[in-house]
Amino acid sequence: MSALRSQTLTLLAKDLRLEWRAKARLVAVAVFGLLSLVVFSIAVGPDSKALTAGAAGFLVIALLLSSTLALAESFRVEQERRALEGLLLLPVRPGAIFYSKAVANTLSLAMLAPGLSLFGVVLYGVELQPANVLSFFAIWLLAAAGLSAPGTLYAAMTSQLRSRDVLLPLLLFPLVVPVLMASCKALALALTGDPMGQMRSWALLLLCFDLIYWSLGGILFPFVIEEG
Amino acid sequence: MKVASDLSEAPAPAFRARDLSRRYGQKWALAHLDLTASRGEVLLIAGPNGSGKTTFLRLLAGLLRPTSGELELFGKNLASDPFGWRRNVSLLSHASYLYDPLSALETLRLWARLLGRSTDEGDLRARLAEVGLEHDAENLVSGFSAGMQKRLTFARVRLEDSALVLLDEPFAALDTAGQELVTEWIAADRKAGKTVVIASHNLERAARIADNAALLSRGQMSWQGPARELPGVLARVS
Repeated sequence: MSALRSQTLTLLAKDLRLEWRAKARLVAVAVFGLLSLVVFSIAVGPDSKALTAGAAGFLVIALLLSSTLALAESFRVEQERRALEGLLLLPVRPGAIFYSKAVANTLSLAMLAPGLSLFGVVLYGVELQPANVLSFFAIWLLAAAGLSAPGTLYAAMTSQLRSRDVLLPLLLFPLVVPVLMASCKALALALTGDPMGQMRSWALLLLCFDLIYWSLGGILFPFVIEEG
Repeated sequence: MKVASDLSEAPAPAFRARDLSRRYGQKWALAHLDLTASRGEVLLIAGPNGSGKTTFLRLLAGLLRPTSGELELFGKNLASDPFGWRRNVSLLSHASYLYDPLSALETLRLWARLLGRSTDEGDLRARLAEVGLEHDAENLVSGFSAGMQKRLTFARVRLEDSALVLLDEPFAALDTAGQELVTEWIAADRKAGKTVVIASHNLERAARIADNAALLSRGQMSWQGPARELPGVLARVS
Protein backbone atom coordinates (compact mmCIF):
# COMPACT_ATOMS: atom_id res chain seq x y z
CA MET A 1 0.00 0.00 0.00
CA SER A 2 2.81 2.38 0.89
CA ALA A 3 4.57 1.57 -2.40
CA LEU A 4 1.36 2.45 -4.25
CA ARG A 5 1.06 5.72 -2.34
CA SER A 6 4.68 6.71 -2.85
CA GLN A 7 4.54 5.84 -6.57
CA THR A 8 1.27 7.75 -6.93
CA LEU A 9 2.76 10.85 -5.30
CA THR A 10 5.92 10.65 -7.42
CA LEU A 11 3.87 10.32 -10.60
CA LEU A 12 1.49 13.08 -9.51
CA ALA A 13 4.44 15.45 -9.11
CA LYS A 14 5.54 14.45 -12.62
CA ASP A 15 2.05 14.90 -14.08
CA LEU A 16 1.62 18.32 -12.49
CA ARG A 17 5.03 19.37 -13.76
CA LEU A 18 4.07 18.24 -17.28
CA GLU A 19 0.75 20.13 -17.00
CA TRP A 20 2.55 23.24 -15.84
CA ARG A 21 5.02 23.07 -18.72
CA ALA A 22 2.09 22.82 -21.13
CA LYS A 23 0.54 26.09 -19.97
CA ALA A 24 -0.53 27.01 -23.48
CA ARG A 25 -2.68 23.87 -23.54
CA LEU A 26 -4.30 24.80 -20.22
CA VAL A 27 -5.06 28.26 -21.55
CA ALA A 28 -6.57 26.73 -24.70
CA VAL A 29 -8.81 24.48 -22.59
CA ALA A 30 -9.93 27.46 -20.48
CA VAL A 31 -10.62 29.58 -23.57
CA PHE A 32 -12.62 26.69 -25.04
CA GLY A 33 -14.74 26.60 -21.86
CA LEU A 34 -15.30 30.36 -21.97
CA LEU A 35 -16.30 30.20 -25.63
CA SER A 36 -18.80 27.44 -24.83
CA LEU A 37 -20.42 29.72 -22.26
CA VAL A 38 -20.65 32.51 -24.85
CA VAL A 39 -22.22 30.11 -27.38
CA PHE A 40 -24.85 29.04 -24.84
CA SER A 41 -25.75 32.66 -24.09
CA ILE A 42 -26.07 33.36 -27.83
CA ALA A 43 -28.23 30.27 -28.26
CA VAL A 44 -30.60 31.26 -25.45
CA GLY A 45 -30.75 34.89 -26.57
CA PRO A 46 -31.45 37.96 -24.47
CA ASP A 47 -33.87 36.19 -22.12
CA SER A 48 -32.08 36.96 -18.86
CA LYS A 49 -34.43 34.76 -16.82
CA ALA A 50 -33.70 31.71 -18.97
CA LEU A 51 -29.98 32.45 -18.83
CA THR A 52 -29.99 32.68 -15.06
CA ALA A 53 -32.08 29.54 -14.71
CA GLY A 54 -29.78 27.57 -17.00
CA ALA A 55 -26.48 29.00 -15.70
CA ALA A 56 -25.54 25.94 -13.62
CA GLY A 57 -26.24 23.61 -16.54
CA PHE A 58 -24.22 25.77 -18.93
CA LEU A 59 -21.29 25.80 -16.52
CA VAL A 60 -21.38 22.01 -16.15
CA ILE A 61 -21.58 21.50 -19.92
CA ALA A 62 -18.67 23.93 -20.40
CA LEU A 63 -16.71 21.88 -17.87
CA LEU A 64 -17.63 18.65 -19.65
CA LEU A 65 -16.59 19.96 -23.07
CA SER A 66 -13.33 21.35 -21.70
CA SER A 67 -12.66 18.06 -19.93
CA THR A 68 -12.64 16.08 -23.18
CA LEU A 69 -9.81 18.27 -24.48
CA ALA A 70 -7.85 18.15 -21.25
CA LEU A 71 -8.28 14.40 -20.72
CA ALA A 72 -7.25 13.41 -24.23
CA GLU A 73 -4.16 15.61 -24.01
CA SER A 74 -3.12 14.17 -20.65
CA PHE A 75 -2.29 10.82 -22.27
CA ARG A 76 -0.77 12.21 -25.46
CA VAL A 77 2.50 12.91 -23.65
CA GLU A 78 2.48 9.35 -22.28
CA GLN A 79 2.22 7.90 -25.78
CA GLU A 80 4.63 10.19 -27.62
CA ARG A 81 7.70 8.15 -26.70
CA ARG A 82 5.77 5.29 -25.12
CA ALA A 83 6.59 6.65 -21.68
CA LEU A 84 3.62 4.79 -20.23
CA GLU A 85 5.14 1.47 -21.27
CA GLY A 86 8.38 2.62 -19.67
CA LEU A 87 6.57 3.16 -16.38
CA LEU A 88 5.11 -0.34 -16.50
CA LEU A 89 8.59 -1.75 -17.02
CA LEU A 90 10.12 -0.04 -13.99
CA PRO A 91 7.74 -1.56 -12.72
CA VAL A 92 5.13 0.92 -11.54
CA ARG A 93 1.76 -0.30 -10.28
CA PRO A 94 -0.95 0.55 -12.85
CA GLY A 95 -3.10 1.88 -10.00
CA ALA A 96 -0.44 4.50 -9.24
CA ILE A 97 -0.47 5.62 -12.88
CA PHE A 98 -4.26 5.88 -12.85
CA TYR A 99 -4.65 7.73 -9.58
CA SER A 100 -1.84 10.20 -10.27
CA LYS A 101 -3.26 11.00 -13.69
CA ALA A 102 -6.84 11.24 -12.39
CA VAL A 103 -5.81 13.59 -9.56
CA ALA A 104 -3.79 15.75 -11.98
CA ASN A 105 -6.78 15.90 -14.34
CA THR A 106 -9.11 16.78 -11.48
CA LEU A 107 -6.83 19.61 -10.42
CA SER A 108 -6.58 20.89 -14.00
CA LEU A 109 -10.36 20.94 -14.33
CA ALA A 110 -10.76 22.46 -10.87
CA MET A 111 -8.47 25.29 -11.97
CA LEU A 112 -11.06 26.23 -14.57
CA ALA A 113 -13.60 26.97 -11.82
CA PRO A 114 -12.66 30.57 -10.93
CA GLY A 115 -12.43 31.75 -14.54
CA LEU A 116 -15.52 29.96 -15.87
CA SER A 117 -17.70 30.74 -12.85
CA LEU A 118 -16.75 34.42 -12.77
CA PHE A 119 -17.39 34.69 -16.50
CA GLY A 120 -20.67 32.78 -16.15
CA VAL A 121 -21.84 34.94 -13.25
CA VAL A 122 -21.24 38.09 -15.27
CA LEU A 123 -22.56 36.70 -18.58
CA TYR A 124 -25.72 35.13 -17.17
CA GLY A 125 -26.40 37.75 -14.51
CA VAL A 126 -26.30 35.28 -11.64
CA GLU A 127 -25.78 36.56 -8.11
CA LEU A 128 -23.56 34.08 -6.32
CA GLN A 129 -24.07 34.64 -2.59
CA PRO A 130 -20.77 34.96 -0.70
CA ALA A 131 -22.02 32.34 1.76
CA ASN A 132 -22.33 29.84 -1.11
CA VAL A 133 -18.95 30.46 -2.76
CA LEU A 134 -17.25 27.69 -0.81
CA SER A 135 -20.06 25.22 -1.55
CA PHE A 136 -19.95 26.20 -5.22
CA PHE A 137 -16.24 25.43 -5.53
CA ALA A 138 -16.55 22.23 -3.47
CA ILE A 139 -19.27 20.98 -5.84
CA TRP A 140 -17.17 22.00 -8.84
CA LEU A 141 -14.28 19.99 -7.43
CA LEU A 142 -16.55 16.95 -6.97
CA ALA A 143 -17.86 17.36 -10.52
CA ALA A 144 -14.29 17.62 -11.85
CA ALA A 145 -13.38 14.46 -9.93
CA GLY A 146 -16.47 12.69 -11.29
CA LEU A 147 -15.44 13.49 -14.85
CA SER A 148 -11.73 12.83 -14.33
CA ALA A 149 -11.87 9.23 -13.11
CA PRO A 150 -13.86 7.71 -16.00
CA GLY A 151 -12.26 10.26 -18.35
CA THR A 152 -8.76 9.12 -17.39
CA LEU A 153 -9.73 5.50 -17.90
CA TYR A 154 -11.21 6.16 -21.33
CA ALA A 155 -8.42 8.54 -22.33
CA ALA A 156 -5.94 5.74 -21.61
CA MET A 157 -8.10 3.27 -23.53
CA THR A 158 -8.39 5.46 -26.61
CA SER A 159 -4.97 7.13 -26.50
CA GLN A 160 -3.43 4.76 -29.05
CA LEU A 161 -6.33 4.95 -31.47
CA ARG A 162 -6.42 7.23 -34.48
CA SER A 163 -10.05 8.14 -33.79
CA ARG A 164 -9.43 8.92 -30.11
CA ASP A 165 -10.80 12.48 -30.36
CA VAL A 166 -14.15 11.11 -31.53
CA LEU A 167 -14.24 8.05 -29.33
CA LEU A 168 -13.44 9.71 -26.01
CA PRO A 169 -16.61 11.87 -25.82
CA LEU A 170 -18.68 9.03 -27.28
CA LEU A 171 -17.61 6.73 -24.47
CA LEU A 172 -17.43 9.32 -21.72
CA PHE A 173 -20.63 11.33 -22.08
CA PRO A 174 -23.16 8.51 -21.46
CA LEU A 175 -21.18 7.26 -18.47
CA VAL A 176 -21.04 10.61 -16.67
CA VAL A 177 -24.75 11.46 -16.96
CA PRO A 178 -25.28 10.84 -13.21
CA VAL A 179 -22.39 13.20 -12.42
CA LEU A 180 -23.80 15.84 -14.77
CA MET A 181 -27.26 15.59 -13.24
CA ALA A 182 -26.08 15.75 -9.64
CA SER A 183 -23.61 18.57 -10.28
CA CYS A 184 -26.20 20.60 -12.26
CA LYS A 185 -28.69 20.35 -9.41
CA ALA A 186 -26.14 21.10 -6.69
CA LEU A 187 -24.55 24.00 -8.58
CA ALA A 188 -27.98 25.48 -9.37
CA LEU A 189 -28.79 25.44 -5.67
CA ALA A 190 -25.44 27.05 -4.86
CA LEU A 191 -26.08 29.78 -7.43
CA THR A 192 -29.75 30.53 -6.83
CA GLY A 193 -30.10 29.71 -3.16
CA ASP A 194 -30.95 26.60 -1.19
CA PRO A 195 -33.93 27.36 1.02
CA MET A 196 -34.91 23.68 1.39
CA GLY A 197 -31.37 22.50 2.20
CA GLN A 198 -31.20 20.09 -0.76
CA MET A 199 -27.70 20.98 -1.91
CA ARG A 200 -26.08 18.71 0.67
CA SER A 201 -28.02 15.68 -0.62
CA TRP A 202 -27.00 16.33 -4.23
CA ALA A 203 -23.40 16.89 -3.18
CA LEU A 204 -23.48 13.62 -1.25
CA LEU A 205 -24.85 11.82 -4.29
CA LEU A 206 -22.07 13.35 -6.38
CA LEU A 207 -19.54 12.17 -3.83
CA CYS A 208 -20.98 8.63 -4.03
CA PHE A 209 -20.64 8.62 -7.84
CA ASP A 210 -17.08 9.86 -7.47
CA LEU A 211 -16.22 7.08 -5.04
CA ILE A 212 -17.67 4.45 -7.38
CA TYR A 213 -15.86 5.84 -10.44
CA TRP A 214 -12.55 6.21 -8.64
CA SER A 215 -12.72 2.69 -7.21
CA LEU A 216 -13.74 1.12 -10.51
CA GLY A 217 -11.12 3.14 -12.39
CA GLY A 218 -8.34 1.81 -10.15
CA ILE A 219 -9.57 -1.77 -10.63
CA LEU A 220 -10.07 -1.59 -14.40
CA PHE A 221 -7.04 0.51 -15.36
CA PRO A 222 -4.53 -2.40 -15.40
CA PHE A 223 -6.68 -4.23 -17.96
CA VAL A 224 -6.81 -1.10 -20.11
CA ILE A 225 -3.08 -0.46 -20.35
CA GLU A 226 -1.70 -3.99 -20.44
CA GLU A 227 -1.17 -5.34 -23.95
CA GLY A 228 -2.58 -8.83 -24.40
CA MET B 1 11.34 -1.23 -5.88
CA LYS B 2 13.59 -2.90 -8.40
CA VAL B 3 16.06 -4.95 -6.43
CA ALA B 4 17.70 -8.31 -6.90
CA SER B 5 14.73 -10.47 -5.97
CA ASP B 6 14.06 -14.10 -5.14
CA LEU B 7 13.36 -14.84 -8.79
CA SER B 8 16.87 -14.01 -9.96
CA GLU B 9 18.38 -16.10 -7.14
CA ALA B 10 16.51 -19.29 -8.02
CA PRO B 11 18.67 -22.12 -9.48
CA ALA B 12 17.25 -22.06 -13.01
CA PRO B 13 18.28 -20.67 -16.38
CA ALA B 14 17.81 -16.93 -16.82
CA PHE B 15 15.01 -17.71 -19.22
CA ARG B 16 13.61 -20.70 -21.06
CA ALA B 17 11.24 -20.45 -24.03
CA ARG B 18 9.50 -23.67 -25.08
CA ASP B 19 7.41 -23.86 -28.23
CA LEU B 20 6.83 -20.12 -27.81
CA SER B 21 4.50 -18.48 -30.32
CA ARG B 22 3.02 -15.02 -30.60
CA ARG B 23 0.45 -13.86 -33.11
CA TYR B 24 -0.68 -10.32 -34.03
CA GLY B 25 -4.09 -10.71 -35.64
CA GLN B 26 -3.53 -13.31 -38.37
CA LYS B 27 0.23 -12.87 -38.54
CA TRP B 28 2.56 -15.08 -36.55
CA ALA B 29 5.46 -12.93 -35.33
CA LEU B 30 7.03 -15.88 -33.51
CA ALA B 31 6.33 -19.55 -34.13
CA HIS B 32 7.38 -22.53 -31.98
CA LEU B 33 10.54 -20.94 -30.64
CA ASP B 34 12.75 -22.92 -28.26
CA LEU B 35 15.52 -20.91 -26.68
CA THR B 36 17.32 -20.90 -23.34
CA ALA B 37 19.89 -18.55 -21.86
CA SER B 38 21.95 -19.28 -18.79
CA ARG B 39 22.97 -16.78 -16.16
CA GLY B 40 25.89 -14.58 -17.07
CA GLU B 41 25.40 -15.30 -20.76
CA VAL B 42 25.37 -12.68 -23.48
CA LEU B 43 22.97 -13.87 -26.18
CA LEU B 44 22.70 -12.25 -29.57
CA ILE B 45 19.40 -12.47 -31.42
CA ALA B 46 19.95 -11.80 -35.11
CA GLY B 47 17.67 -11.78 -38.10
CA PRO B 48 16.22 -9.53 -40.77
CA ASN B 49 13.46 -7.00 -40.15
CA GLY B 50 10.22 -8.70 -39.15
CA SER B 51 11.94 -11.86 -38.00
CA GLY B 52 10.47 -11.58 -34.49
CA LYS B 53 13.45 -10.19 -32.52
CA THR B 54 11.56 -7.30 -30.95
CA THR B 55 8.50 -9.46 -30.25
CA PHE B 56 10.72 -11.94 -28.43
CA LEU B 57 12.28 -9.19 -26.32
CA ARG B 58 8.85 -7.76 -25.50
CA LEU B 59 7.68 -11.20 -24.44
CA LEU B 60 10.75 -11.55 -22.25
CA ALA B 61 10.09 -8.12 -20.76
CA GLY B 62 6.57 -9.18 -19.82
CA LEU B 63 4.98 -6.56 -22.07
CA LEU B 64 3.32 -9.20 -24.24
CA ARG B 65 1.72 -12.52 -23.38
CA PRO B 66 2.56 -15.59 -25.49
CA THR B 67 -0.21 -16.82 -27.77
CA SER B 68 0.95 -20.34 -27.01
CA GLY B 69 3.95 -22.11 -25.54
CA GLU B 70 5.84 -21.49 -22.34
CA LEU B 71 8.18 -18.80 -21.18
CA GLU B 72 9.94 -18.93 -17.86
CA LEU B 73 12.10 -16.33 -16.23
CA PHE B 74 14.39 -17.67 -13.52
CA GLY B 75 12.10 -20.68 -13.33
CA LYS B 76 8.89 -18.70 -12.90
CA ASN B 77 5.95 -18.25 -15.21
CA LEU B 78 4.87 -14.74 -16.21
CA ALA B 79 1.23 -15.34 -15.28
CA SER B 80 2.17 -16.19 -11.70
CA ASP B 81 3.68 -12.79 -10.95
CA PRO B 82 3.90 -10.19 -13.77
CA PHE B 83 5.02 -7.49 -11.35
CA GLY B 84 7.84 -9.64 -9.94
CA TRP B 85 8.77 -10.62 -13.51
CA ARG B 86 9.35 -7.03 -14.53
CA ARG B 87 11.41 -6.35 -11.43
CA ASN B 88 14.03 -8.67 -12.87
CA VAL B 89 14.09 -7.28 -16.38
CA SER B 90 15.38 -4.10 -18.00
CA LEU B 91 14.47 -3.32 -21.57
CA LEU B 92 16.19 -0.88 -23.86
CA SER B 93 13.56 -0.51 -26.54
CA HIS B 94 13.20 1.31 -29.85
CA ALA B 95 11.09 3.80 -27.91
CA SER B 96 12.97 6.00 -25.48
CA TYR B 97 10.24 6.12 -22.78
CA LEU B 98 11.15 9.77 -22.19
CA TYR B 99 9.01 12.83 -21.51
CA ASP B 100 9.92 15.71 -23.81
CA PRO B 101 9.04 18.48 -21.31
CA LEU B 102 11.36 17.08 -18.57
CA SER B 103 15.08 17.71 -18.28
CA ALA B 104 17.59 14.85 -18.16
CA LEU B 105 18.07 15.35 -14.43
CA GLU B 106 14.32 15.45 -13.75
CA THR B 107 13.86 12.30 -15.82
CA LEU B 108 16.54 10.44 -13.93
CA ARG B 109 15.18 11.67 -10.59
CA LEU B 110 11.71 10.39 -11.56
CA TRP B 111 13.06 6.94 -12.43
CA ALA B 112 15.22 6.82 -9.30
CA ARG B 113 12.24 7.66 -7.08
CA LEU B 114 10.04 5.04 -8.73
CA LEU B 115 12.81 2.46 -8.37
CA GLY B 116 13.55 3.40 -4.79
CA ARG B 117 17.12 4.39 -5.65
CA SER B 118 19.07 7.33 -4.27
CA THR B 119 17.77 10.67 -5.53
CA ASP B 120 20.78 12.55 -4.23
CA GLU B 121 21.63 15.12 -6.87
CA GLY B 122 25.33 14.22 -6.79
CA ASP B 123 24.50 10.57 -7.46
CA LEU B 124 22.15 11.46 -10.29
CA ARG B 125 24.68 13.78 -11.91
CA ALA B 126 27.29 11.03 -11.63
CA ARG B 127 24.94 8.69 -13.47
CA LEU B 128 24.43 11.30 -16.18
CA ALA B 129 28.20 11.69 -16.42
CA GLU B 130 28.47 7.91 -16.84
CA VAL B 131 26.42 8.16 -20.03
CA GLY B 132 28.14 11.35 -21.20
CA LEU B 133 25.29 13.75 -20.45
CA GLU B 134 26.85 15.67 -17.57
CA HIS B 135 26.63 18.95 -19.49
CA ASP B 136 23.01 18.43 -20.45
CA ALA B 137 21.53 17.69 -17.04
CA GLU B 138 19.28 20.75 -17.06
CA ASN B 139 18.37 20.60 -20.74
CA LEU B 140 14.93 19.40 -21.78
CA VAL B 141 14.67 16.04 -23.51
CA SER B 142 12.78 17.73 -26.36
CA GLY B 143 16.09 19.28 -27.46
CA PHE B 144 18.04 16.01 -27.35
CA SER B 145 19.32 14.27 -30.45
CA ALA B 146 18.47 10.59 -30.99
CA GLY B 147 21.90 9.61 -29.66
CA MET B 148 21.48 11.71 -26.50
CA GLN B 149 18.07 10.19 -25.90
CA LYS B 150 19.60 6.76 -26.27
CA ARG B 151 22.27 7.65 -23.73
CA LEU B 152 19.65 8.84 -21.25
CA THR B 153 17.68 5.63 -21.78
CA PHE B 154 20.86 3.69 -21.05
CA ALA B 155 21.11 5.63 -17.78
CA ARG B 156 17.75 4.14 -16.91
CA VAL B 157 18.87 0.60 -17.74
CA ARG B 158 21.98 1.10 -15.60
CA LEU B 159 19.85 2.49 -12.78
CA GLU B 160 17.50 -0.51 -12.87
CA ASP B 161 20.40 -2.92 -12.36
CA SER B 162 18.27 -5.94 -13.32
CA ALA B 163 19.33 -9.57 -13.55
CA LEU B 164 18.16 -9.81 -17.17
CA VAL B 165 19.05 -6.96 -19.52
CA LEU B 166 17.31 -6.82 -22.89
CA LEU B 167 18.86 -4.50 -25.45
CA ASP B 168 16.99 -3.87 -28.68
CA GLU B 169 19.38 -2.26 -31.17
CA PRO B 170 21.67 -0.92 -28.44
CA PHE B 171 24.20 0.54 -30.89
CA ALA B 172 21.73 2.36 -33.13
CA ALA B 173 21.96 6.18 -33.10
CA LEU B 174 25.15 6.09 -31.01
CA ASP B 175 28.53 7.48 -32.10
CA THR B 176 31.62 5.27 -31.96
CA ALA B 177 32.47 6.37 -28.42
CA GLY B 178 28.92 5.60 -27.33
CA GLN B 179 29.06 2.17 -28.93
CA GLU B 180 32.33 1.45 -27.14
CA LEU B 181 30.74 2.51 -23.86
CA VAL B 182 27.82 0.15 -24.40
CA THR B 183 30.20 -2.67 -25.25
CA GLU B 184 32.02 -2.08 -21.97
CA TRP B 185 28.76 -2.08 -20.01
CA ILE B 186 27.70 -5.37 -21.55
CA ALA B 187 31.05 -6.91 -20.64
CA ALA B 188 30.69 -5.56 -17.08
CA ASP B 189 27.15 -6.94 -16.80
CA ARG B 190 28.33 -10.37 -17.89
CA LYS B 191 31.10 -10.21 -15.29
CA ALA B 192 28.50 -9.31 -12.68
CA GLY B 193 26.54 -12.46 -13.56
CA LYS B 194 23.75 -10.74 -15.43
CA THR B 195 22.21 -12.18 -18.54
CA VAL B 196 22.21 -9.85 -21.52
CA VAL B 197 20.11 -10.40 -24.64
CA ILE B 198 20.98 -8.22 -27.62
CA ALA B 199 18.88 -7.84 -30.74
CA SER B 200 20.98 -6.01 -33.27
CA HIS B 201 21.74 -5.49 -36.91
CA ASN B 202 25.26 -4.39 -35.99
CA LEU B 203 26.39 -8.01 -36.10
CA GLU B 204 30.09 -7.31 -36.33
CA ARG B 205 30.16 -5.58 -32.98
CA ALA B 206 27.43 -7.64 -31.31
CA ALA B 207 28.92 -11.01 -32.33
CA ARG B 208 32.24 -9.90 -30.84
CA ILE B 209 30.80 -9.51 -27.35
CA ALA B 210 28.11 -12.20 -27.37
CA ASP B 211 28.69 -15.76 -26.18
CA ASN B 212 25.90 -17.37 -28.16
CA ALA B 213 23.66 -16.35 -30.99
CA ALA B 214 20.27 -17.26 -32.36
CA LEU B 215 19.27 -16.45 -35.92
CA LEU B 216 15.58 -15.88 -36.48
CA SER B 217 13.81 -15.91 -39.78
CA ARG B 218 10.08 -15.17 -40.13
CA GLY B 219 9.52 -15.85 -36.47
CA GLN B 220 11.29 -19.19 -36.45
CA MET B 221 14.67 -20.31 -35.28
CA SER B 222 16.90 -20.88 -38.30
CA TRP B 223 20.23 -21.34 -36.52
CA GLN B 224 21.62 -21.39 -32.99
CA GLY B 225 25.23 -21.64 -31.84
CA PRO B 226 28.33 -19.81 -30.67
CA ALA B 227 28.23 -16.14 -31.63
CA ARG B 228 31.67 -16.27 -33.24
CA GLU B 229 30.27 -18.62 -35.87
CA LEU B 230 27.38 -16.33 -36.80
CA PRO B 231 29.22 -14.24 -39.44
CA GLY B 232 30.21 -17.46 -41.26
CA VAL B 233 26.65 -18.77 -41.10
CA LEU B 234 25.28 -15.50 -42.46
CA ALA B 235 27.85 -15.50 -45.26
CA ARG B 236 26.77 -19.01 -46.25
CA VAL B 237 23.08 -18.07 -46.10
CA SER B 238 23.52 -14.93 -48.20
